[in-house]
Amino acid sequence: MAGSPKLDRAQIDHVAKLASLSLTGAEAERLTGELAAIVAYVAELDAIDTTGVEPTAHVQLERAPWRADAPSPSLSNDEALAQAPAAADGGFAVPLFVEG
Amino acid sequence: MGDVDRAEELARRLEDLTVRAIADGVRSGALSAVDVAEAALARIGRLDGDLHAFLAAPREHALEQARSIDARRARGEALGPLAGVPIAVKDALSTKGLATTAGSKILEGYAPPYDATVVARLRAADAIVVGKTNMDEFAMGSSNENSAYGPAKNPWDPARTPGGSSGGSAAAVAARLAAAALGSDTGGSIRQPAAFTGTVGVKPTYGRVSRYGLIAFASSLDQVGPIANDVRGAARVLGVIAGHDPRDATSLTAPRADYEAACDRSVAGLRVGVPDEYFAEGLDGEVEASVRAAIAGLEAEGCVVRPVKLPHTRHAVATYYVIATAEASSNLARFDGVRYGLRVTPPRADLRAMYGATRDRGFGAEVKRRILLGTFVLSAGYYDAYYLKAQKVRTLVRRDFDAAFADVDVLVSPTAPTPAFRLGEKIDDPLAMYLNDVYTLPASLAGLPSCSVPCAPTSAGLPIGLQITGRPLDEAGVLAVAAAWERRSPAKGAIPALARTARR
Repeated sequence: MAGSPKLDRAQIDHVAKLASLSLTGAEAERLTGELAAIVAYVAELDAIDTTGVEPTAHVQLERAPWRADAPSPSLSNDEALAQAPAAADGGFAVPLFVEG
Repeated sequence: MGDVDRAEELARRLEDLTVRAIADGVRSGALSAVDVAEAALARIGRLDGDLHAFLAAPREHALEQARSIDARRARGEALGPLAGVPIAVKDALSTKGLATTAGSKILEGYAPPYDATVVARLRAADAIVVGKTNMDEFAMGSSNENSAYGPAKNPWDPARTPGGSSGGSAAAVAARLAAAALGSDTGGSIRQPAAFTGTVGVKPTYGRVSRYGLIAFASSLDQVGPIANDVRGAARVLGVIAGHDPRDATSLTAPRADYEAACDRSVAGLRVGVPDEYFAEGLDGEVEASVRAAIAGLEAEGCVVRPVKLPHTRHAVATYYVIATAEASSNLARFDGVRYGLRVTPPRADLRAMYGATRDRGFGAEVKRRILLGTFVLSAGYYDAYYLKAQKVRTLVRRDFDAAFADVDVLVSPTAPTPAFRLGEKIDDPLAMYLNDVYTLPASLAGLPSCSVPCAPTSAGLPIGLQITGRPLDEAGVLAVAAAWERRSPAKGAIPALARTARR
């Protein structure tokens, strides 16, 4: 393991950006301390010998069958848009994201 | 007897009526579904102001279902196995046209356009969905204090937590506001609240019950299951919700057992393993004594009790919090203010600024903590060291169980290391809160069926849970042991004082 990395404010800001969370300064400060303590705790995994051990991503999945690749009804356009904060022209409306 | 007296009488009787007794009564015509619904609504009206078990319990919604059930019986139609049974549904499960928030402000006012498969199956079995229950936001928590709408309270002592995250479901059943409830369990979220409230809670094998329509927290761990006031009631609800669903790719085709019949099975000769690691430092003395007495009770039923080793138990908390938060950070990316729920648009915001502001306002502190931890353990440079490492340790946890189940048929232990703690006691220390889940996390990581059933309470009268864990797909074996213990348990039929109406 990369040692126990020091989780600092710059790292939290970076991770918050990856997670699309606009944290306030005070929030980021508090979370830095809390997460550093949790990361220090989970670093105990480092000491466990896992040589040659396969990772488990999912249990039981090997028994699940594939579904037939057949079309079936789904939500109508109106139903899908009914809960949207903003809709226009039969689609979800969002703020500008491409510079014109 | 007048209508008011009759409703009052039935509201009192709900204190002692099991799932089976209600369904039998409604099917035979001895009880009307509308009367049962009215009685449950009356109890909710009287008690839920203090308990806050429900986030929503719209009267008309319940009565409409009840009227249709009574009308179908009047026409001579056969009714389903949950006929007229008032069931509370955790707010993480989608209910068509009925607000579903998962305990979060980011979904305030959201009304799903479809029912979760488990909810559709309850309705098809003629249950009455009485309302949506309080929970830790997105099921992240062990005390209900992470609900954006304020915590549910424990009916045995309202100053204490009913547990989490399915605390509202457990509190509702404990106070007999509903005869049964659905919860979801990712790391103990059905079993720990059941233990804290003196109810029966079952986490099925991963894949046994459909997750379609369950708002996802950690997809490799999430599983829906029942909470009820007796083992047989939980077994009946499980029989209704279990089974293959083509809409959930992880749903299994393995045939269902007759879970109710399993409750009458003898457990003589069954090999019961007691893992040493679950009776370690941090275990409350009264919890240990009560659980050991229950194990002695199983021995008296003819079970063969022997010690087993699950050596990786102490690493389950670290393993779980890496894997569950990684999955959560990915699952919760969908809450972006575009398709449903809250949108916050700061002045002159572009799309990314809208995402950031919406998620900052919409998510509570614990959810942000877990999204950040999950994003961190998946980020470049840390993926192998944390996420992949945790997945490998998860394999070691599974191997522990495989080895134990070579020698025994079920494992028994405490469900939680302590009885219900006080609201506010652990909220400022996330790590201490996580450590409370130490006994429920391993079975979640291994995908095993596991249930909590009440054993003798503490001297102060707080419930204690016995956890029974079985081999994959052996819910029937788990329920057989739970029912055998329940028949002897001094906690059988116990009801919190505040839920007991004074007899006239």
